[in-house]
Amino acid sequence: MMFLRSCSLALRCRNPRVSIRAFSSSRSAGKDALDLDAWKTVMRSQALREQSESESPSRSALDDNRELVEMWHQAGKFVPKNITDEQLEELARLATRSAKKKYLKFLAIKESHKISKKEKQEKNKSEREAETVTFKENVKEGECEQEAPKNTFLLRFWSSSGDREQSWRAAQAMRFGQPLVYDMSYEHHMSRREMENTVAQLMESEGWNRRAADPFHLHFCGLQPDGAYLRELCRRYGPQTWDRLLITATERTHVEMFPQQDLVYLTADSKQVLQAFDHSKVYIIGAMVDRSIHSGVSLANAKRLRLTTARLPLDEHLDWECGAKNLTLDQMMRILITLKHTGSWEKALEFVPKRKHTGFTGVTKSRFVPNDSSRSRFPAGAQSRTDGRKKQAERDKCWEHRD
Amino acid sequence: MGSLVVSKSRTCIKHLCTSWVVNPLYFRPTLAYLPQQSIMHTVRFIINPHTQYYSTKGDKQAHDRVAKEKGFTPRTRPAFPNSVFTAGTAKRTAEYMKKRAGVDTEELSNNTPARGRGSVKVALPDHPLTTSEWAKVKESSSKPERFEMQMMEGLLATNADINIAKSLLAYVVQDKGTVSYELLLRYLTLCVTGGHHSEVFDTYDIMKTCFKTLDTGASSLFIKGFSQTERWREALMVLEGMKKALLPSPRNYSDTIAGAALHGDTETSWMLYDELLELGLVPNQDTWQCLFQSGITQRGQEDKLFSVLSHMRDNQIYPEEPLIQTIKAWFESLPDQKWSGKFSYVAPSGECKNCKTSLESIQLTEEEYAALKDKVMKKVIEGSDVFKKTTPEELQSFKSFVKQRPPFDIVIDGLNVANTTPKATHSETLLAVVSELEQQGLNILVLGRKHMLQPSRNWDRQNMNKIKQKAHCFFTENISEDDPFLLYAALHSGVHCNFLSRDLMRDHKACLSDSATRRLFFKWQRGHQLVISHYVPGKRVRFQRILAYDTIVQTSGGSWHIPYDENRGDRATYEVPQKWLCLTQEH
Repeated sequence: MMFLRSCSLALRCRNPRVSIRAFSSSRSAGKDALDLDAWKTVMRSQALREQSESESPSRSALDDNRELVEMWHQAGKFVPKNITDEQLEELARLATRSAKKKYLKFLAIKESHKISKKEKQEKNKSEREAETVTFKENVKEGECEQEAPKNTFLLRFWSSSGDREQSWRAAQAMRFGQPLVYDMSYEHHMSRREMENTVAQLMESEGWNRRAADPFHLHFCGLQPDGAYLRELCRRYGPQTWDRLLITATERTHVEMFPQQDLVYLTADSKQVLQAFDHSKVYIIGAMVDRSIHSGVSLANAKRLRLTTARLPLDEHLDWECGAKNLTLDQMMRILITLKHTGSWEKALEFVPKRKHTGFTGVTKSRFVPNDSSRSRFPAGAQSRTDGRKKQAERDKCWEHRD
Repeated sequence: MGSLVVSKSRTCIKHLCTSWVVNPLYFRPTLAYLPQQSIMHTVRFIINPHTQYYSTKGDKQAHDRVAKEKGFTPRTRPAFPNSVFTAGTAKRTAEYMKKRAGVDTEELSNNTPARGRGSVKVALPDHPLTTSEWAKVKESSSKPERFEMQMMEGLLATNADINIAKSLLAYVVQDKGTVSYELLLRYLTLCVTGGHHSEVFDTYDIMKTCFKTLDTGASSLFIKGFSQTERWREALMVLEGMKKALLPSPRNYSDTIAGAALHGDTETSWMLYDELLELGLVPNQDTWQCLFQSGITQRGQEDKLFSVLSHMRDNQIYPEEPLIQTIKAWFESLPDQKWSGKFSYVAPSGECKNCKTSLESIQLTEEEYAALKDKVMKKVIEGSDVFKKTTPEELQSFKSFVKQRPPFDIVIDGLNVANTTPKATHSETLLAVVSELEQQGLNILVLGRKHMLQPSRNWDRQNMNKIKQKAHCFFTENISEDDPFLLYAALHSGVHCNFLSRDLMRDHKACLSDSATRRLFFKWQRGHQLVISHYVPGKRVRFQRILAYDTIVQTSGGSWHIPYDENRGDRATYEVPQKWLCLTQEH
């Protein structure tokens, strides 16, 4: 009874135009049905107040996609709330439903990170303000339990001093140091996302290089002035930082800059194993992220230019589990820097992700076997890096571990 | 490997028993406790039905064994060995490998599945509650802000009474003044799955008026809901509205076609089907089932349904169990044509068991062969970058090598064959295979890599010299891929040339850009690839038999033969089904 009266009151309050059928039907019989359908009348009444959108004759693909994202957001799918025009253009370029969904999920995750970061900032700010307020109050009251900020004779080490030191070292490396080349000729093998990942990895590897005690002289070779690499690098670094960066970025290729016998192309598909770090050679790493696996692309490049190739001795030193032997660019940088400084493979291969291997083999392999017939010489567990033709047993071993 | 050890077991067990008597050793996997490790391994291998036993009994039993995994008797042998392209082979091998590795499959299946969103266990009411009761439940819940969604999702999961959901919505309206889109969407899902058509209509009106447009999920639900009722034409309008940013999915089209067919409008259903094909979508099996079903009840669609069958032929699509039954029923319902259908098998020679007609041969025609040769050269061997798989000089030298020699009868993938068994060294295995084939008088080409010429434990110099005497050999660089050379040599030696490898060549098939060429490649592969089924050092090498017929929808005027999938889950995409529907006309 009470509910019915309140319900009808609510109806009347909201919209007096809607005829209240509640009182017309018999209360006892249709009471349940009334309760259950009451929400429909409320919703319909709401509709009368909503402005009807006139369909504009020219609807671009952007508008369609924007509407799609909005309605998906209302339906509770994992899509961002706000989306910019460039992102909408990118969305319109994707053809399939799953590609759009994945891209929107990526944007939604980025958005949620931003929101949570902002919330955290505000929370910290309010906490800090509360602290200073209490501190000031304490000071006013004269009960200084917390002491004022101390005076000290020890100078603070500002991070800019560290930066300056590192820059001097990088400049020295540019004049006297060993070159290390990143080959930027893989623009057409990578998607937009892979390009962004590559540039992120390049930034990180440049950072690790700069922080090392004896940096390499980094070269970004084959960098086309109108290419995607340069665009992305400028976008990430910012134009001023990119200009001031202490590396050599040229359009010329590595074969033009260095004599052929000094070049060694590091690629996971090679059959030759790198035995020890040579301080007189120029090592080349392909600046490519292959999320969509293109096996053998970097080797093909090296073959075309007739360069020596080498791969890291991952099998010789690590008990490999499951995972690609292609390492990321910053991992490669850290390995090479450690190798340069210490010459020890154990220390260098610490930077290979631990999930991919179970540990160092501990077996001192005195002879590195340079070619394919090495299959019989390794212990049963190690997977020798072949050209993709693995034995059935080894393949199953990988599956079992995956299971 | 597996095949080797089976034969070894046969030899040692033969000594233990006089004839093919049922030996307890065959059936017990608990023979792990036997001291002799070799016998344990061999017996485990026997359990695998993938290995071949030569049978003197009829083919029917063989086919049964192909279909089922258990229940083999050691007396029977199938008339032909299981091919690597037969449906179900890959699945059986995978299961066998898992068992052999000692992983308990039950353990894996007992893992609790990950909990999805909204799967928190909340107590759902079992009768409609009033608003005050709902308010009380909400206060006692753990997450008040997600309360309504949790409740609605719970009701959906348990497929509860619609009135409970309605009472929840009434409460929400009273509490907040409006119902969110998400909640309405969940309610709509409940209505559609429960078949409450009046509710669906009401919700449609409400959503149309309260919100700008419908999202894809709601549109799909409305299409499904409307197609089941007499207002099915409005589903077409919703379908049109869906075409803005995304194409409708084949499921949407399937629902609308079902709706049109159910209400007797065959013209609309065929128009929608043509639209579906035009958009480049792949129709569901349900779509075809609806169309064939409507063809039974309404005459005049015969030629369109025959075009569906030819579409299945062109795209190498195999109908599944429900669809094949409907097709059979449709054929049998055709007036004064007197079709009668029976499910049967096909003998390896290409003869249907039921009507004794010969099926289409698996050999390609001249034009198809030339086109395939050309495409393989361009796409697989050269590809976008010839350096990826080989170098231009090597390719040129191989081309001249092939041109100089007489056409080959069989091309052997040296490394793949040499790795058949771990029991013998690589060169011994290769020598045995080459000798066997040479005895049959074939012109052989062996492909390998340069490291095989270096003397080592695996590649003995004597053996390699013998191989070089018995067959032509070509060794590529160690970093080149040898499979493309294999394909080139096999294709350029003529239609009769087979190739020997265990590799399924899927990565090379994927290099071909269009699906028609891929189907041609697959057809050629099934007709020309030899796989070693048995090898034991010291014994004869045995090969899997190549089937002489093509597994595809086919007709020969008076009869139709349609292969179908009994169980789609068993068959991998590179396998072909074994069972057929044979339709014959009585005169």
